[in-house]
Amino acid sequence: MNNSTVVSYFSQSNEFIHVHAWLSKALGFDATSLMAFVIFAVIALIIVGAMATIGGLGTYAERKISADLQARMGPNRVGPFGLLQFLADGVKMIMKEDIITTNADKFTFNLAPVLCMVGVFATLAVVPYSSGFILADLNVGIFYLVGMASLVGVGVFLGGYASNSKWSMLGGMRGASQIISYEIPATISIIAIVLLAGGLSMKTLVGAQGGLPHEWFLFHNPFAFMAFFVYFIAGLAETNRAPFDLPEAESELVSGYHTEYSGMKFGLFALAEYIEIFVVCGVAVALFLGGYKVPFDLGSGAMLVEKLGLDSMLSQNIGQLLELGAFVSKTLVLYYVVIWVRWTLPRLRVDQLMTLCWKYLTPIALFNLIGCAVWMYAFNGKSIFTLIFSAAASGHGGH
Amino acid sequence: MINLWAYLGISFILFICGIMVMIARKNIIALLLGVELILNAAALNFAAYTKFSNGNLDGHIMSLFIIIIAAAESAVGLGIVIRFFQLRESIHIDDASTLQN
Amino acid sequence: MFSNTLFLLSAVLTVAGALMVVYTKNLMHACIYLLASFFGIAGLYACLGADFLAATQLVVYAGGVIILMLFAIMLTGGTGNKVNRYGLEKIPAMGNKKTYFTAGFTAIVSALILVKITMSAMSGNPAVANLTNEPTVERLGTILATDHILAFEISSVLLLGALVGAAVISRPRKEIHD
Repeated sequence: MNNSTVVSYFSQSNEFIHVHAWLSKALGFDATSLMAFVIFAVIALIIVGAMATIGGLGTYAERKISADLQARMGPNRVGPFGLLQFLADGVKMIMKEDIITTNADKFTFNLAPVLCMVGVFATLAVVPYSSGFILADLNVGIFYLVGMASLVGVGVFLGGYASNSKWSMLGGMRGASQIISYEIPATISIIAIVLLAGGLSMKTLVGAQGGLPHEWFLFHNPFAFMAFFVYFIAGLAETNRAPFDLPEAESELVSGYHTEYSGMKFGLFALAEYIEIFVVCGVAVALFLGGYKVPFDLGSGAMLVEKLGLDSMLSQNIGQLLELGAFVSKTLVLYYVVIWVRWTLPRLRVDQLMTLCWKYLTPIALFNLIGCAVWMYAFNGKSIFTLIFSAAASGHGGH
Repeated sequence: MINLWAYLGISFILFICGIMVMIARKNIIALLLGVELILNAAALNFAAYTKFSNGNLDGHIMSLFIIIIAAAESAVGLGIVIRFFQLRESIHIDDASTLQN
Repeated sequence: MFSNTLFLLSAVLTVAGALMVVYTKNLMHACIYLLASFFGIAGLYACLGADFLAATQLVVYAGGVIILMLFAIMLTGGTGNKVNRYGLEKIPAMGNKKTYFTAGFTAIVSALILVKITMSAMSGNPAVANLTNEPTVERLGTILATDHILAFEISSVLLLGALVGAAVISRPRKEIHD
């Protein structure tokens, strides 16, 4: 086990060592892997629970923000400010009758929402919440994330096929073609950043950046700046959000691939969509906006130990919390942008969608990739701000 | 418990399944499914030998190229299937029995 | 213990998926079982310490090949034509008892022959596991860009050819008036 997961973070603490010694004595064998398993299980449950809450709150935020943009009130009855509306919706969905249409392919019909959920939740394993709070820092992290996220496309497609309805089928085919088309610009933009950071693991990608904006990959060079927007647009399309919500276009297809779904299966589709937005925003933050990095190296806690004389584990925990806060707040800002875009822009047509992907985004992404490679070669991997500062410093020194 | 033979056995089962699919089915897309199974069996073998006999990564490179070939093959193969269906209204392998039209 | 569990789960998924691909009569279901089998194979790669291969398997198969197959199924379905152009009754597209018997027989015979041929080559060679699971990404990249650069370039040309070829072949042509 390499030194980079949430277990290795916890194993630095004194409590872990005490419990480990006690368990090993009581059970009669080395309890390291047992404890690792228990910690992984607990943390995975926490992450899944937190993400389900964020997905639910996403629906609430969507309704509140859309209401705000349209000068309405939005949900305001259940709980303070209507915050508990998503719980009421969830209860309603669970209580609803689970209808399977007569001519549906039952096996596929039941499998499709589960595939969507599995694809989205499996990507959560490599999202870097903070430097210690990451479930599995795979050394192919971002690549694994791309592969798992494509499972959502299969789920959407099967959902459309199995419903045995024209609307669903058209929605499913649109969804799948859109998802596999927009994967290409998104992946090429990711590869451009991988080129800058020199690794596929999430920690390498985030670790190559710094806490302050001029150290982010977004401002590393002009090509990376463009790559961010290409990635963000492609991410919007991959999550089937407006202005790319062709698969569930209400005005043409009643509600797309989940027309025939009711009850909790529909809920799973909706939840998968909202959590996928969070994952896409999180990846954008981790790759381009500095991820969990906080300024002045506060995250490691070394400064707190030095200046305030705190216990090292306590100051590390404070650092982790700061990093978590930085990551989550940046992600939520992007989440707000996603919702804002949805309620502002009109929907594209199908041919415009494909034209945008294949004639504009893919060539731009390829150009960015080559541009990043040339930049790395020409300027020895220095960012544009480093070059400007050093040029200014040398110019100043020359006088 | 887990040695080379376990992986070879799995890859063997995959290969036999692929052969059976290719012989028993008459649907062109089902034949392509069988081809994918066979290619995966071969790729798994390369990776298993890399792990258990020598440590250098040439086996992984071979598996990688097999995956590349499989992707290219399925893209072109399915393109041909769709074109064939446009011409003949059928994806039965026995209908593909003439060289012209 | 972790890796043993992972191996068992992946092996069961792979083998069950492959067997169900053979067994099921529904092409769509066969595709889904094939997806399960591919996921199992990705797990097996992970057990073998081939992390990059496992991720590639996920990206290429789950994201690309399976969706392509599903598309092909959707675009070609729906003919109830039971006879071929000579008026003879066709074998059902997903096989019948006779074809399955032939296939099973062929499979068993070829299995026996394969085992017979390869056994002598394998039995004398005690396999020693290389137990360290190092990250392979950097080594793979180095090898690909140095030793295997020609194969790498050829495969990129092959992929480009496949891309253009698939687009040209399946593009809807203008109707020929006849």
